Order: sequence, then structure tokens, then C-alpha cells
Amino acid sequence: MAARRKRFLTAFLLVLPFAVFLASLHVGTSQISPGLLFKTLLSPLFPSWKAAIPPSTFDIVFAIRLPRLLLALAVGAALAVSGASLQSLFKNPLVNEYILGISSGAAFGASLSFVVFGSRVPPQISSFAFAVLAVVLVLAISRRSDSPVVSVLLTGVIVSAFFSALLSLVEYFASPYSLQALFFWLMGNLWKSGWADLAVSLPLIAAGLAVLLFMRWRFNVLSMSDEEARSLGVRLRREKLVVLVTTTIITAAATSVAGIIGWIGLIVPHLVRMIIGVDNRRVLPLSAALGATVLIVADDIARSLAAFEVPVGIFTSLIGIPLFIVLLRKAGKVWR
Amino acid sequence: MSLRVRNLVFRYRAFELRVGGLAFEESRLTVIVGPNGAGKTTFLKCLAGLLPVPKGAIDLDGRDLVSLGEPERARRLAFVPQEHGAAFNYSVLDFVLMGRTAHLPLFASPSAEDVRIAEEALSFVGFSAYASRPHFQLSSGERRMVLIARALAQQTDLLVLDEPTTFLDPRHEAEVMDLARKLAAERRKTVVMTLHNLDLAVRSADEMVFMKNGRVVSSGRPEDVLTENLLTRVYDFPMTLFRLEGRTFVLR
Repeated sequence: MAARRKRFLTAFLLVLPFAVFLASLHVGTSQISPGLLFKTLLSPLFPSWKAAIPPSTFDIVFAIRLPRLLLALAVGAALAVSGASLQSLFKNPLVNEYILGISSGAAFGASLSFVVFGSRVPPQISSFAFAVLAVVLVLAISRRSDSPVVSVLLTGVIVSAFFSALLSLVEYFASPYSLQALFFWLMGNLWKSGWADLAVSLPLIAAGLAVLLFMRWRFNVLSMSDEEARSLGVRLRREKLVVLVTTTIITAAATSVAGIIGWIGLIVPHLVRMIIGVDNRRVLPLSAALGATVLIVADDIARSLAAFEVPVGIFTSLIGIPLFIVLLRKAGKVWR
Repeated sequence: MSLRVRNLVFRYRAFELRVGGLAFEESRLTVIVGPNGAGKTTFLKCLAGLLPVPKGAIDLDGRDLVSLGEPERARRLAFVPQEHGAAFNYSVLDFVLMGRTAHLPLFASPSAEDVRIAEEALSFVGFSAYASRPHFQLSSGERRMVLIARALAQQTDLLVLDEPTTFLDPRHEAEVMDLARKLAAERRKTVVMTLHNLDLAVRSADEMVFMKNGRVVSSGRPEDVLTENLLTRVYDFPMTLFRLEGRTFVLR
């Protein structure tokens, strides 16, 4: 009975993002009927249908809503899977996807783009570069140490603080206009997403997710103590590096196009573990599905709540933090 | 499969472990004893490839331990630690399944065959009924059995156990030792373990190794090497051997 319920829940959670995705194509300021939406989506396959579709509808669906939803799907999945992977790797359920300095590195990179470089270097590129740089610094500094796990986490905190200080410095010298653009970016949003963002981020995220999802069972072993994992036959250095590089790439790719969207990588894996148990063979794929669902829904709220855009990162935090407090109280069942 | 120690040297700060000319053979249960700080656990971890050892120091069935990669080594030798280091509450079966790691490539999940092997290992230690239990609920004695089952799922010819009976009540103690004997006698495994309970050691061991200050003081079959003099010397503490109805007891 319990096994059947688990299978049902698993199937339900895996279908959920796609259902929410289709439903969310309706969300927006202009009303498009389901029939018209259906026809518009399939019109590239049936050119004869095109005549019946208003060009504005076609543009809304293909140039605005579809890329934005695809991005929400990819970013949500990337952040949640990164969080789940790093929690296992660091044997610590309170670790999040930004723990190695990705968010502050990305924020500083974006600030350089908005404030210093102007539009010559797009924020996507400079935030990606500095997010990766932050992680490289963390790994390089923490390499010579007796206790790798603690020291990596500690170095992550230190490097984050350093990039935050650099960010403050840039902010101090910024003009009000560029500061506003920067703040909007920092709060996390999918507002400006177009096919150009997708073209770079989507393949990176898809490839990284594939790597992590294929090694999902391995995360069970990696969550054991380092010595135990080695004695069970894990090539620890190599496998840790695979996980760190992959999670860094997908988190940086997500952050560079969506800004800093908090709490998904921490909350979603927790929810999944409470629903379905701690076996990573289920936790990773279901985190991807639930992460995508959560971000799509949060973005629906962000773009339909008011007449103007509200950054979606505000909602993920507003929903995420109270939820996290509730989860912490029930946490004993899942970890110790 | 045999495990030979030629000239092992391992240093950590002021401590030096120096062991040579020791062999652990198939179907034999070897028990290593000695006072706290003698280097027993360090020695076991060297044998298990968990601490760096010099080239040519340890020979695992004709291959230098240093030349074996982690998966290769873990397919030949399984190490049972005193406690597991799991941060998440896996089910007992999922936990035992982790013993299959060395047989699986990085991007693979266990097959039905791997699950069967894990279930068989659980049933060998008599814990089939525990398969779906969360392992944080187990007592320390039960956890020890599950750790042994995980090592069995590794399907190795060699088993190295670090004080498998500490914190166990007499019944669980006896069960663990019976299991170890069965593995050596019936499955022809090479079993090496450390123990603090000398009675248990004397009763179960085919071979005994006495360690003190990082050195082997004496080794051999208990009936050949065990004397009051040796025990007193190893433990720096007066000890008496007492024989009753063909059994040997160690008294303080």
C-alpha cells in the first residue's frame, strides 16, 4: 500500500510541471482562449492554420510566454537539483545551491555589467563568469586542509562575504539609474527572458541536469562519511569534482539569466524528502519536477498579481521562509 | 584470497605504526588485540586502503594495495567501521545496497540483481524483516549487523572489521562473532578484526595478533602464543589465564 502510494505520488509530481506549464501559457494580461492557444502552439507544424491566428497572439505566445516559461522550468529544476546534490555531497541538509559563493559572485559580476561596463558586457556573461570564479576561488583556497567538507563550506562563506563587500563598493559609486537596474536583477526575475537567454542557458542546464540525474543513486553513497564512501569504492576526489563542477555550471547558468532566486534549492529537496523519503534515486528527479513547478507558479503570481512586474525572487523567499520554519519542526524524521 | 603485510610504516605526528611479516589467510579468522592507542584501528585502516601506505607494503592477493584503484580494492576487501556516517535516514535495504557501489559505474543505479544480492546479505545476517525500516530506528547492535550486511553485499573475499562488538550486549556480541566464524568457515573468507574482549577473542580466533605502541608483539594461534606473561606485557597490567572445561578465560 505504501509502495503504491509512493508510485502514485512520484508519477503525479513528475507530470505536475508539464501541466502547470501548459496552464501557465494562459497567464498574462492578454486573454487567449484555450482553442486559439492550442492552434498557435501547433501552427509551426501546420502552416495553413497561421492565417487564422492574429500576429500579436503569435508573438505573445512564442516571443514572450513560451521562452519565459521554458526558462522558469529550467531555472527551477536547476536550482532544486543543485541544492539536493550539494546537500548529499556535504552531508548537510541545510546547505543550499549558493553555498559556494555563486550568488555573491554572480551579483558582483552583474553589478560590474550594470555600473562599470555599461551595456558593453551583458550581465548574463559577467555574472556567469564571476559566479564560476567564486567557486574556483573557494575550491582553490580550501584545497589544502585536513577536513575538506568543513573547510569548503567555511571558505564558501568567506569568499561570499568578500564578493558582497566588492558589490557594496560598486553600489556605492553607482548612479541611481544603474543602481535601480542592478537591484531589480538582484531580486531575481524572469522578466527579460527571451530566446537569446535560452540559447545559452538551456543547453548548459539540460546537460548538467542530465549528468546529475544519471548519477542520482551515487548521491546516496556520497552522503555517507568520506571514509565510508571511499571504503565502499568511491573515487572521492574525482566524483566530488564532477558534482561541484556540474552544480556550479547549472546554478551559474540559471543565476546569470534569472538573477538570485532564493530558497528553491533548500526548500524543494526538503519537501520532496518529506513526501517520498530520502533515497536520491527519487529525490533528484522529483526535486527537478517540483523545483520547476514552484518557479513557474511563483512567476505566474509575479506577473499577474499587480499591473506591473514584481520580481519573482521576492515571492520564492516570502513563501519559502515560512515554509522552511514549518519544515524545520518536522525535520527529525528525515535527518538527524 | 590472502592479505600480506611486508613492511608497513605509517606515521601520524609522534605515533609510528611499523608492522611486517604478517599474513592473513583464507578461511581464517584473525583477531587483533592490544591496549588503547596500540594502533589497531590505524592498522586496520591501512589494510583497508583508507590511510596512505608506502608502495609494496601490503599485498592483496598478489597485487600491491597501492596500485589498486578504489573500486578495484573495494571489490576485494570490505571494511566494517564501528559506526556509519549517514546524514540521511535511508531504509535498511537502501543502506545495504550501497555495498554494491564498487560494482556499479558512476552513472548507474542498482539493478534487480544488485537488489537481490543486498537482500541475500540481509538474510545472511538474519535481518530480512528489517529491509524497509528506517535505519536511524535501529539499536547499535542492529546497526552493526546491517553494516556487516552492507560489507557482505560488496561480495569480497576479505572482510576487515573494526571492533565489531563494542557497545553490544552479550547476546549481540555472540551473534556477531558467530557470524564472523561462519563467514570464515563456510564462505572461506579471510576475516580480520580488532577486539577488546579477550575472552571472546580467545574463544573465536584462529589466529591472534598482539599489538602495543604501533608494533606487533606476538602473533599466532591462541593455543600456541597466549600466555599470562604475554598479556601482562602487552597491557602493562597483571592478567591471569584460567582454564575450565577446555575453555580459556582471561581474568584481571
